[in-house]
Formats: sequence, C-alpha cells, structure tokens
Amino acid sequence: MHELSIAQSIIDYMVSEADKNGSKSVSEIQIEVGELMQVDLAGLKELVLLLMKGPRLEKCRVELSLKEAGFRCRKCGAAWDMKEARKQLEQTADSLLVREPDSKELPLHFLPSLYSSFLNCPKCGSADIAAESGEDIRIRRLVLE
Amino acid sequence: MRETDDGLLFEKESARKKLEQVGRVIMVGSGKGGVGKSFVASGLAITLSRLGHRTGILDLDIHGASLPGYFGVSPPLTSTERGLKPKVKEGVEIMSVALFTGNRPVAVRGSEKQNLVNEVFALTDWGHLEYLVVDLPPTTGDEVLSAFELFGKKTGLILVTTPSPLAVSIVSRLRQLAKGEGIPVLGLVINMAYLKKGKRASFPFGRSDRPSMEKRLSTKIIAEIPLDEGVSSKGLARMLNGRNEISPEFKRIAAFVASS
Repeated sequence: MHELSIAQSIIDYMVSEADKNGSKSVSEIQIEVGELMQVDLAGLKELVLLLMKGPRLEKCRVELSLKEAGFRCRKCGAAWDMKEARKQLEQTADSLLVREPDSKELPLHFLPSLYSSFLNCPKCGSADIAAESGEDIRIRRLVLE
Repeated sequence: MRETDDGLLFEKESARKKLEQVGRVIMVGSGKGGVGKSFVASGLAITLSRLGHRTGILDLDIHGASLPGYFGVSPPLTSTERGLKPKVKEGVEIMSVALFTGNRPVAVRGSEKQNLVNEVFALTDWGHLEYLVVDLPPTTGDEVLSAFELFGKKTGLILVTTPSPLAVSIVSRLRQLAKGEGIPVLGLVINMAYLKKGKRASFPFGRSDRPSMEKRLSTKIIAEIPLDEGVSSKGLARMLNGRNEISPEFKRIAAFVASS
C-alpha cells in the first residue's frame, strides 16, 4: 500500500500549482490513474479528500478515473491488455519480492516501470515489450480560481 | 482553468518531497565499467555511517547492479505505508532495483529509465538522511542524465578511474557531461592504483600520472586506493575496520566530502 504517499503527492501538486499561478483556491482536479499501477481508486480518493484541508483545497471537486493498460511486443507486434498481463503477474506473486503482511498486491504496484522484468509477450515470449497506455498517473484537468 | 497532460505526477512530486529530507547527495561515477564505482560508493557510504552520519546508498546501475553483493543483502523487500523499506547493513540504508527484481533481467529502454530512476528514489522510505551516496552506472546516458536532473542542486560528483589512460579518457566524457549540466565535480578517486606484496608495490594498470590526470579532468585527486585481495576474502566492511592501506583512503574521501 502506498496510496497514502500518492495522495500526498497529489495534494503537494495542487498546492504547488496554486502557488505558481498565484491562485486563491483549486476548485477541480481530474486525475487519470494507470491500471498498471494497481492502485485502489476508492481508497486513493478517500485519502485525497481526507488530506484536502484549508480554504484553498477544501472545496475542490476530485475526480479519479482508471486508464486501461495496453501492451505491445516490440519484437512480434502482438498487443494485449491488463487481463492477460495479470495472469503472468499472479504467477509472479507466488515468489513475490516485496513482502507485506496480508497483502494480495502484485509486484508492479511499487515500481510500475519495471513491467518488462515481470511480463513477457504472450505470443513470442520476448521481454522487449512496451506499455502503450495506463502505466502512470496523469492530471487531466486542473481548475484554479 | 487548464487542461493538462502532466504525467509522472507521483514520481516527480514524491521525489521532490523525499529530496527535502536529504542533506546532500554524493554521486559516484566514471562513465566506464570495471573501475570500481560500486566499491568506492559502498566504502564511502560505510565510512560516512561509521563517522556518525545517517547515510543511504542508491544503486542506479539498473542493468548490472552490484551493491547488494557488496553489502550482502538480498530480496525480499518489505513495504510500509510510505513505500519500500530500504535494507540496512553496516548502518547504511540500501536500495537497489536488484532488491526488487532479483535475478530477472531488466529490459528497460530510453525514457522508461527516467521513470524508473524517479520511482526507485521516490518509493523508498528513506527517512531523514545526512548523505545519500548514489552509485551511477557505466554510461553517460539516461540513468545518469536522470540522476543529474533529479538531484540537481543538492549533488556533487566524485569521479572514479584506474590509472589507465584509456579509463581516464572515458572518465573525461562524464566530466564534460557534468560540466554541461552544471553538476559540480568534487574530486577524483584513483582505484586499483597499485598492488602491494609485502613491501613491494606493482602497478597492474600503470602508474598514475597525477598532474596529467588532474589537468585532463579539471579536478583534484582525493585518494588513491590500492588493489587488495582482502576485499574479496574478508569483505569490504571488515577491511574498512582493519589496518591496511584501503581504510585510510576511504577516511580521506569521507573527510573530504564532509568538508567540501
């Protein structure tokens, strides 16, 4: 679980953008969370709302959406989605390299950029693969007053 | 109102925040493989820690990590609500991608490396550190540029070379890159400077031409570390406690870092 640190970074981002632009408040933020990060969206939203204190942030509308992950093999061109990737990640979870009591988190929760160490092309087996979408967190809309 | 496409929010913001808790970042690099960057970085981190400084070490050699071996640490990592807990050995907080991937290959390309450098620093629950020693990979590419960008104003670079003129010429490329990116070079460490058998010294990589090296790399030599088979037989940490010609050189580097 590192949703708390993600939530804190979202708050830090809003404050820093408001400071940069000399804004009195932030009224809306839309955030797209990549599926590959395997973040608990409801939990993340709850934490963001909990951390939004003070007149600049307390009335901000927060919208979080999931961006589906998509992968492509650089060797054979095959494309696949997170459902297929999850099968491989679940196998890896048996030898999970990050131990967390009572956790069912899959390895890429922590370092999503390492996806090619845990995934292979389901068609040809190559590790030379690319995440074409859903590998990070993006701010899609920010409304400053 | 503005529509944005601000990516890497978490890594960038989190890395920026984490960096506030670090007093100083000391990068150790050479641009060349096989000169002993990880050895120098590990020895420096252990020595700083023994001098009472709270010290961490970050392995950015993504494809060929060797720090876990020097410290004798291995997966699994554990996590907290603030991220991944670094391994602690010899008083040093240690993080390396290899502690996450184990023996899996890391087939990461181009811009993904920048994300990875930010992630691995940002996701580690370092706490407050007086010094973060960063072991750079043997390249002047993505990982090094990403580290320069990430650690920027807080950092200084220690160059590592062997006495070999070929090594010095490759190290000079990293020197030029650092200059162009505004990264201060603190000094030069000559590793594998000589090998002593009894009272006789031999020079397997040639004798160090100190004035020429200092001129070529526009910096001062901080230390000359000999080859010593004790490092592999006894381990680096024990050697740094012992009476030998390695231990005082690392004390010299640590004192230099603390005073620079």
